[in-house]
Amino acid sequence: MKPEKKNKPAVKLSDASTWVQQHGNYLFRYALMRVRNRELAENLVQETFLAALTGRRSFAGRSAERTWMTGILKHKIIDHYRKGFREKSVTELQTDEEQTIDQFYDAVGSPKQYPKDWMPEPESVLHSKEFWQTLRECLGHLPERTANAFTMRELDNLETDEICKELGITPTNLWVMLHRARLQLRACLERNWFEKK
Amino acid sequence: MTTLSNWEEETKVPLRTSCKQAAQLVNLSLERKLTVREFVTMKIHLWTCKTCTFYKNQISALRKIFLRHEEALENIPPSEDEKLSECSKTRMQELIEKNR
Repeated sequence: MKPEKKNKPAVKLSDASTWVQQHGNYLFRYALMRVRNRELAENLVQETFLAALTGRRSFAGRSAERTWMTGILKHKIIDHYRKGFREKSVTELQTDEEQTIDQFYDAVGSPKQYPKDWMPEPESVLHSKEFWQTLRECLGHLPERTANAFTMRELDNLETDEICKELGITPTNLWVMLHRARLQLRACLERNWFEKK
Repeated sequence: MTTLSNWEEETKVPLRTSCKQAAQLVNLSLERKLTVREFVTMKIHLWTCKTCTFYKNQISALRKIFLRHEEALENIPPSEDEKLSECSKTRMQELIEKNR
C-alpha cells in the first residue's frame, strides 16, 4: 500500500494589525539597502503593507507571510528603479559609465591603484553588521542608476535579460554599469572595510 | 612548430592584454559565457598578473556574500538607523486599520 502523500498545510496570514510589528523593520532594512534613502524606503514599506492588505485574499499560502510581503516590496522597488531609468537616455548613461571606468586606469590600461591582497571570509563578513553598513555607504557613493542595476543583479540575483527588460536597457549597457559598480565598490570596501580590519 | 607568437597570430588572440581589458573580461565572465578567444585572453593575463587575480577573486567572493544578504537581514539585529521610526510605525498601523 502506497503511503498517503502528505500535503504541506497552507500558510495562513496573520492578523494585519500585527504586520508592522512583525515585518516592519525587516522590510525597511530590505528597502533601505536597495534605495539608500530613509524616506523613500519608508514609503515603499507603507505601500507594501497596503498592497498586501488589498491582495490578501489572493495569498495562496504557498510561501511564508514575510516572503510574500518581500515579493511585493521587490516589485515596488523595481517600479521605482524603472522610473529613474526613464529620465536619462541610455547612450548618455553608457558614456558616463565608460568615462568613470577610464578613471581607474592610466593611458596603457594599468590600474592607477592596484588591488591589494585580501579575501573576504564569507562567514565572518556575513554576520557583521558593520560590513553591511559599509556596503550600504559604498553603494550610496555610486550614481543612483548604477547602484540600482547592481542591486538587481547582485543582491536580487536577477538575470541580465530580466534586468534589461525591466529597465529598458541593452545587455551591453548593463554590463558596463556592473563593471563600473564592481570597480568602485571593490575599491570602496578595500579602503573602508578590509584595510581597517 | 607552433610557437607562442605564431599561435597568437593564427588564433588572433592577443597574448598581452592590459589590466583594463582583462578586468572587462573578468566582469563579462560573471555575466555570460566567454568565447574561447575571450576566455584564453583572460586566462593568459591572470596567469601572469597577480593583482588582476586578486581583483577576480575578490569580486567573485563578494558576489557570493551579496547573494546571502537576506540571510544576514534575518540574523543580524537592526541598528538604530535601520529601524522604522515610531512615528512611521504608528502612521502605517493607522493606515492598515483604516483600510482593513
